[in-house]
Amino acid sequence: MKPPATAKWRGYVRIAVRGKHTEQLINELYTQEISIWDISRLGEDQVSMMLMLPDFFRLRPLLRRTGCRVHVLERYGLPFSLRQLSKRSFFASGLLLFLLGLYMLSSLVWTIEVKGNERIHTEQILEAAKKEGVFPFQWSFRLKKMDEISKEIHAQLPDATWIGVSKQGTKIMIHVVESAVPDSKKLVNPRNLVAKVDAVVTQIIASQGKAVVRPNTRVKKGNVLISGIIGSTDMPRIVPAQGTVKGLVWHEYNISVPFLTKEKTFTGAYKERQYIQLGDRRLQVSGYGGIEFANYEIIEEEEQAGVSRIKLPIKWVHEKIMEVAEVAKERSEDEAVRVGLEQAHADIAAKYGGDSRIVTEKILHQKADNGKVNLKVLFEVEQSIAVEQPIVSAPEDLRQGD
Amino acid sequence: MSRFTRKVRQWTAQLFDLPQEMMLEVPRLSMIGNRQLFIENHRGVIHFSSELMRLALSAGELEVRGQNLVIKGIWTEEVFIEGDILEVKLHGMEGQWS
Repeated sequence: MKPPATAKWRGYVRIAVRGKHTEQLINELYTQEISIWDISRLGEDQVSMMLMLPDFFRLRPLLRRTGCRVHVLERYGLPFSLRQLSKRSFFASGLLLFLLGLYMLSSLVWTIEVKGNERIHTEQILEAAKKEGVFPFQWSFRLKKMDEISKEIHAQLPDATWIGVSKQGTKIMIHVVESAVPDSKKLVNPRNLVAKVDAVVTQIIASQGKAVVRPNTRVKKGNVLISGIIGSTDMPRIVPAQGTVKGLVWHEYNISVPFLTKEKTFTGAYKERQYIQLGDRRLQVSGYGGIEFANYEIIEEEEQAGVSRIKLPIKWVHEKIMEVAEVAKERSEDEAVRVGLEQAHADIAAKYGGDSRIVTEKILHQKADNGKVNLKVLFEVEQSIAVEQPIVSAPEDLRQGD
Repeated sequence: MSRFTRKVRQWTAQLFDLPQEMMLEVPRLSMIGNRQLFIENHRGVIHFSSELMRLALSAGELEVRGQNLVIKGIWTEEVFIEGDILEVKLHGMEGQWS
């Protein structure tokens, strides 16, 4: 028979009962609902049995009635081990101290993590948190309620929209949501928009100021396109002119494209070399012997040795030496012209902005000699032509506008 | 239990298909090999040693012989005996069913 479930906690004993009427005692025991188990006979007038510790103290009247004597053979369970522990005071106090230490260390705040801040400095947030009693090595039972802390920290940080504080074990997490501040407007001085180059205006949109020219007007470099002076002549105001002005501009390009081009190609033949690199020194492992290629390119691959994230100063270097052949290619004249025009297109897009548009292109002159083709091309490009010009000297009677 | 009561109970047990030991206060023995013996409806221990055990029943008594007998557990209705059981005998139950 196994001892009852709680026997280990409450303690149980093996007792020896001596007497003439042991059977009578057994009968008495179970009728009194004292649970006994593992009863065996030790001798002529002696029986051993297991018994719960609380029941042991109920035994006395029964023993008297049946005329038996009892003594304890073995003791099991927590009450007895506790008594034994109390004899070893140093061990017991050590055990207690360990548990206490573990509890104390786990009730400290060890780390504070700040997440989600970009503009607000982490130090600033930690400073605010410290004022609310949130700092490393603080007792976590001295912390205020989390929502209260987040409210208080939020009050100290006006740039944050929301602050959430949560506790995970010994770690305090501060989540910050920064308020989105709109970009402050650039301050601009009163100005005119004038033509950058000679052009024919195609489109003019004034968002501030007065459009002086109309589409299809020919303008010269420096002509005012959008004026910063608005209002009537009696009551003029000066504003920073704003808007877009587009115009047709002529660009002349002299392009020369050679017929013959050289291209590098890999022949497919290659050789491999491998090294072990220790710091700056390399030790060749394989691929000895010279390189038999006249022209070649080396492609290098490195493998870093390391344990998880820690990098060791050891590398495995793999070199692939590939043979290169130069192939000369002859282009036709048409092809050369096409290449030249493409180059010019790319140049226009780079110089005059992505919104520039080539309206017409005209090859004025084309001549092939000395292994190349010379081109003279006129491009008509629609591009932004406005440039800012500050209004420096305003008439005295002009009031400053916004 | 009078003869009449026993008859009535036996009749009811048969009628309702009930286990007889419940109605009739007779012992029920379950034995596993020759190692374990489980006795229900006992009326107390008369004698107990490692070779012989005698149990009182509602009528008569049960005698168990063997070696290294141990009472693994004992309750008001049941006894659980373990050991090398050699004999199980019943005394004083003759003529109960006539």
